[in-house]
Amino acid sequence: MTDASWGCRMRDTRWPSGAYAAEFSSERHFAGAVAILRGQGYSKIETYTPYPVPRIEAVLPESPSVLPPLVLLAGFAGGLIGYWIQWYTNAVSYPLNIGGRPAHAAPAFFIPTFEGTILAAATAAFVGLFALLRLPQPWHPMFEINGFERASIDRFWIAVDATDARGSGDLTPRALEALKPLRVVRVPGSA
Amino acid sequence: MMAAPARLEPPRPPEDTAFPPPPEWDVLQFDGSDRALTDTLLAPLRGVGRTWWTLFVLSALGTLLFAFTITYTIAKGIGTWGNNIPVAWAFAITNFVWWIGIGHAGTFISAFLLLLNQHWRASINRVAEAMTIFALMNAGLFPILHLGRPWFFYWLIPYPATMGVWPNFKSALPWDIAAVTTYLTVSILFWYAGLVPDLATARDHAASTFRRRVYGIFALGWRGSNTAWRQHRIAMVLLAGLATPLVVSVHSVVSLDFSIAQLPGWHSTIFPPYFVVGAIYSGFAMVLLLILPLRWAYGLEHIITKRHLDAMAKLTLVMALLLTYAYVVELFVSWYSQDPSERFTYFVERPRGAYAVFYWIMITCNVIVPQIFWWKRFRTSVGVLFAAGAAILIGMWLERFIIIVTSLDRSFLASSWHLYRPTWVDFGLLFGSLGQFGLLFLLFVRFVPFVAISEVKRLRHDLKANDGRELGLPHA
Amino acid sequence: MMSDRPRSHRDLALSRREFIHLAGASLALAGLDGCTRMPAEHILPYVDNRPELTPGVGEYYATAMSLDGVATGLIVESHSGRPTKIEGNPEHPASLGASGPLEQASLLQLYDPDRARFARSQSTPTSWEVLAAQLAPAALRPRVGARGAGLHVLIEPTSSLLDEELLARVIESHPDAHIYMYAPLVGDRGAHGIVTHYDISAADVIVALDADFLSSGPFHLRYARQFADKRRLAQPTDAMNRLYTIESGFTPTGAAADHRFAVRPSDVAGIARSLQSALNGGTAGPPWLAAMARDLRAHAGRSVVIAGEHQSNSVRALADSINDAIGATSRITWRAPTPLIGEHVPVHSLTELVAALRTRAVDTLIIVGGNPSYATPAPFDFSVLLRSVPNSGYVGLYENETARDVRWFVPMSHYLESWGDTRAYDGTVSIVQPLVNPLYRSTTSAEVYAALAGMGLVGSYDLLRSSWKRRGNAEAAWGDALQRGFVAGTQFARAESEGRGSTVEGPGSRVAATSNPIDVLFVADPKVHDGSFANNGWLQELPAPLTQLTWNNAALLSPTTARRLGVGNGVHIALTSNARHIELPALIVPGHADDTVTVHFGYGRAGAESLARGVGANAYDLWPSTGVRFLSDVAITVSSKTSALALAQTQETMEVREPVRHATLDEYRAAPSRVGRRPGRALSLYPEIPASERSATQWAMTIDLATCIGCGGCVVACQAENNIPIVGASEVRNAREMQWLRIDRYFAQRETEVEALLQPMLCQHCEKAPCEYVCPVQATTHSNDGLNEMVYNRCVGTRFCSNNCPYKVRRFNWFDYNKHLSDTEMMAKNPNVTVRERGVMEKCTFCVQRIREAGIAAGREDRPLRGTDVRTACQQACPTNAIVFGSLNEPDSEMVRRREQPRSYAALDDLGTEPRVRYLARIRNTNSEIAGAKHDGGAR
Repeated sequence: MTDASWGCRMRDTRWPSGAYAAEFSSERHFAGAVAILRGQGYSKIETYTPYPVPRIEAVLPESPSVLPPLVLLAGFAGGLIGYWIQWYTNAVSYPLNIGGRPAHAAPAFFIPTFEGTILAAATAAFVGLFALLRLPQPWHPMFEINGFERASIDRFWIAVDATDARGSGDLTPRALEALKPLRVVRVPGSA
Repeated sequence: MMAAPARLEPPRPPEDTAFPPPPEWDVLQFDGSDRALTDTLLAPLRGVGRTWWTLFVLSALGTLLFAFTITYTIAKGIGTWGNNIPVAWAFAITNFVWWIGIGHAGTFISAFLLLLNQHWRASINRVAEAMTIFALMNAGLFPILHLGRPWFFYWLIPYPATMGVWPNFKSALPWDIAAVTTYLTVSILFWYAGLVPDLATARDHAASTFRRRVYGIFALGWRGSNTAWRQHRIAMVLLAGLATPLVVSVHSVVSLDFSIAQLPGWHSTIFPPYFVVGAIYSGFAMVLLLILPLRWAYGLEHIITKRHLDAMAKLTLVMALLLTYAYVVELFVSWYSQDPSERFTYFVERPRGAYAVFYWIMITCNVIVPQIFWWKRFRTSVGVLFAAGAAILIGMWLERFIIIVTSLDRSFLASSWHLYRPTWVDFGLLFGSLGQFGLLFLLFVRFVPFVAISEVKRLRHDLKANDGRELGLPHA
Repeated sequence: MMSDRPRSHRDLALSRREFIHLAGASLALAGLDGCTRMPAEHILPYVDNRPELTPGVGEYYATAMSLDGVATGLIVESHSGRPTKIEGNPEHPASLGASGPLEQASLLQLYDPDRARFARSQSTPTSWEVLAAQLAPAALRPRVGARGAGLHVLIEPTSSLLDEELLARVIESHPDAHIYMYAPLVGDRGAHGIVTHYDISAADVIVALDADFLSSGPFHLRYARQFADKRRLAQPTDAMNRLYTIESGFTPTGAAADHRFAVRPSDVAGIARSLQSALNGGTAGPPWLAAMARDLRAHAGRSVVIAGEHQSNSVRALADSINDAIGATSRITWRAPTPLIGEHVPVHSLTELVAALRTRAVDTLIIVGGNPSYATPAPFDFSVLLRSVPNSGYVGLYENETARDVRWFVPMSHYLESWGDTRAYDGTVSIVQPLVNPLYRSTTSAEVYAALAGMGLVGSYDLLRSSWKRRGNAEAAWGDALQRGFVAGTQFARAESEGRGSTVEGPGSRVAATSNPIDVLFVADPKVHDGSFANNGWLQELPAPLTQLTWNNAALLSPTTARRLGVGNGVHIALTSNARHIELPALIVPGHADDTVTVHFGYGRAGAESLARGVGANAYDLWPSTGVRFLSDVAITVSSKTSALALAQTQETMEVREPVRHATLDEYRAAPSRVGRRPGRALSLYPEIPASERSATQWAMTIDLATCIGCGGCVVACQAENNIPIVGASEVRNAREMQWLRIDRYFAQRETEVEALLQPMLCQHCEKAPCEYVCPVQATTHSNDGLNEMVYNRCVGTRFCSNNCPYKVRRFNWFDYNKHLSDTEMMAKNPNVTVRERGVMEKCTFCVQRIREAGIAAGREDRPLRGTDVRTACQQACPTNAIVFGSLNEPDSEMVRRREQPRSYAALDDLGTEPRVRYLARIRNTNSEIAGAKHDGGAR
């Protein structure tokens, strides 16, 4: 895995070769810890928090999300399809004299076109989000950790890939211990 | 620390609005731990009280009535309604427009205010979004139900039929289909996307394995990883950005069902903005009707604070003023048009005709009642807010009734003038739909986290960071 | 298939089970088994004589319907042996091609499921054959005596030569037998049997003295045509006749009038007297009377006074002398023998029968047709008297009130199932030709008389043919008579006798001068006539001319009188006279005479007819005696009861818009363009449809409001042609009536006069149709020949089209109105028109089935389709030719020429819908001497 591939897509994998995880009880303490680890050169880091912690986003760099361009494209496609359907059905496939109006009535076609745009874009945003996050994903090594469920309530977790170049040998657990977490656990490899 | 959820009644606010506002005017007054906060917000999922059951039985009965009247209508034909020629549309379309309108406030609060960084929305947006979805589910039924041959409703959708015939996209009704289905879909996506982290919390907070499994399935394996939160935030902003134009567009399209016709009282260019305002207005009223009992029943006065009530009341007042403006413009334009039929509809039939009493009730509810919100005392008084909300909902239903019926019953040729009298089936459908709405909402409250937990937590910590004062941007 | 045709239709008499079986078959196998119900005898098609029927192609046969004994010639359309539509016979003097509501609706009567199906003696089923044997002179003499003194026969008025001949034979075998002829609305024949005729086309000024000669009475179709022909106004400068109507109620004749004066019935005689004196320079009566008299005199030789047939001798004598004075006699009006029988056989009046019944002199009373137990003056107690007759029999269409009072009953054949003859008002002999075998075991009057005369069981066909021979007609003439429906040159010569026709005792046997403030006027109902059509759904649901009332009769009174009595529409009032009283809802009619209540006969039926039962109140209960026109000693009490009237139109005036444009002739001549002014600019943003996309024929219609008299013939014709269901009173009350064509009625005040503005309103077939673009499924579209098409099986029923239709001419199937049709009613449906299901919209199609039929015919003959090839049902029925249909691309056609008149306009043309229907503004030829004429510019 090259650094370039550390885009959002590859992050938070199922830790194929296992990982070390540390639990923190306060946001500030946890955020600091992340910063320190990064400073030590750890790169294969993932965090688990009950609510977004923007501060660490600066510390954990990620390649720009592909969602916005995806949604933009989907929107355009939806709009085009929307207009095409109306034009084809009313002006090409079966044109009829409707109240003396032109068969190809652009002003009337505007609204479904607009709706098509929104529908396609929104669907893309939704589907795109969970596709990127590899969700649904009912099982994950982290779930094996006893008490990890508090990660969605009031605990903050940091996990470092066991194969992180910086942390060869037992360096990583020690580095984690040094951050004074509530505890450090070994996440079994899923591979 | 594991402090039990504190139910503190904030003291009455001082008459003078000092700035910065006193702490009890904060958008969030919970001072327990995150754990405690979670316990509080997920309490309803663990069990409900007598109030809930009473309401549940009531709305279940209403739903049964709904099911019965629908079956009866489809079996016998819509001749069982009061409609006639000229008044070919009446209750069903009124209900449709009314429910759609109610839906709008949800999107307005969740999407519009999200884009505007109005953090206080965090405590009520989930309720508002759910309201939107349930209102739309009701609304969607009526246009199908009011068809002469409802079993052919799909003919309005452009599917390749053997006869090679297609819908007519010059008509406003296919626009309606497109607008409403899009709106419903986007609302559900937006709602669910926002719900996933809280479902994860519910999963992890669940007492029984069964519940953990069920919530686990819906939580899709959410773990709150940094990547996930980041993508989630981006997606939510995108969805909000897409939902916001819907707030404006959907009811504009609904209004076109009327304004593309040449009927006096329908044929008006002010309809789209006028309908949008009315929609959000009625939606706010419904939100009030929903959150006031909620915060009382589950003791959430510290989550949904007077600050929220105050903000809601202010917005309601703004909408009331905009709506009043629309009414005035409508009257002016019909007078200015010099068209005898227009003038008859607006200056004779509505204020003095057979349905005049409903017209004036409508004016009272929509224009006069909300004026009390100029006073802070009323803006924060639960009773007053509830009563006003109910009045506005009635007023808004009547507004649609007036627009539809008093335009149709007196159209161009006097020879075809005829009044409309609803039958018991008409009323059954109206109250039945209320029952169904209540039922869906109660189930939602019972099984789904109805306050955005993660957002409230985030908000709390941001507030702490800025020692309780208003925030500028959410993320430093 | 012809071979296994039954010898006589008697052989085909059916049990109900068999019948339904056959009826089903004749529907299912319409194509294969088309001849199932064809009459046995050889009948000849009207136009050409095809050996066999072509499935799907209508056959047309001439026949005649007699009402109150007088014939109207008809052409009946038949599909696979099922008569489906009735039209007027263009060659017949009484029709001239037109047909009224009763003629149109008589078709439904044929298929009426309530018709009697079985003969019975007391309550035990029997057959006509058995009863006929008992009626043979030999069998009867022991009862009625050697000279038949005990035999009495009551028949409804007839002009049939065959009947007269057979009745004469009855008298031969029973010299002392009595024959009575009675119908409530027909005066007794009288000694001389002389009636008055008019040639309206020769009159420039007409005064109708309580005479509704345009929409009721013999020859009204002819008179209406002649009247309208003098009002066509191709140019503003054209001449136009002038009609003064003096009447109490509001009749179509009043609606058509240029001046209408509402007077109490008790004043009619006085008016007639003062009119005569005014003509001799007298000054009696109101000012308008003098002006009218001057007008009559000024047009001497071209003016006429028409007194109602029901008026007293004195009034009609006055009219006669006035006509003599103004030189109308023998030019415009003349006398001729009545077509009713009585010349060769003594015919007595009902009063004589009642006298005989009271003296118990009647042993055997045979009633043929009519319904005397119901339709006779209450004081006669006819029903009671009839029950006391030892041997009473009734031959009728229904098990009605009379049937209940008799010992034995035989179903009578409908005229569409009978052979016979009858005479038009002018004597023209018309052949009654059956279109279908009798649906039930029924018999005809002729067959009954034949049995009485001892001729045994003879089919009426054989009777007719033999009498035809006996009358010395050439055999060849028979075919011609059948084809044309009448025998040319058989009308009477004018009679110069001074005698009077039917004798009527003085109007209102008890005229109490001015003692009583209220007159009650008895009139025939325009829809159910004397009650004989009361079970006819088309007629019950037809909005009555001017009142727009359906499914009921009411006490019609003027707004002033209503105010005085303190009653509104629907409030019940009780009319009491001589301890007899009827109660019925009030209905306010602007223009009705003050202090007068009009009551229509024909309602409050109590027979076995399911539709008629319990509808309205029975006016006969108040009727003191035959021939009485009105009562003056009636006490009125307002009851606490009210009932919602089923009114097809609730508004009285045009309110905000002016769909009906009207002007006086002077105004029209002064400023022709003002009447028919059109929008200055084009009101559409859309490009015109290129000619390449339009077919050669562009259908359109022009309706002349100056000649429409609102008789309703077109409405029933449309209902019959287009399979339009009836919906019943409660649905009409909720504005759900289904008629595609309605006649809008607005009242307008012209100084002292109230005038009615009538407007046949149907789909306007707009070129920029508002209904079309709002339909989400393209169920209503525009054809390239200019029709606004309605695709029933594509319609999902959003009703958006109706909401956006400014004319509100679209009709919606709120329920499945065709669900409970009987087998017979189904046979009445037009096979070329879809029967619509629940939940779909429908509306006028310009009779598209007729258009396509003509198109196919033109194609087969390899010639272009011409606009004149098609006539819509409403156009064909219209007595006044007010409706013309055709193609816009034929500038020389009547339709186009009319719409190019300055007074032609499109309804609500400021909406830019560009209707294909054009109206010609209503023009009244008012008399400038009469104040009522001067008023605001009518064309505004």
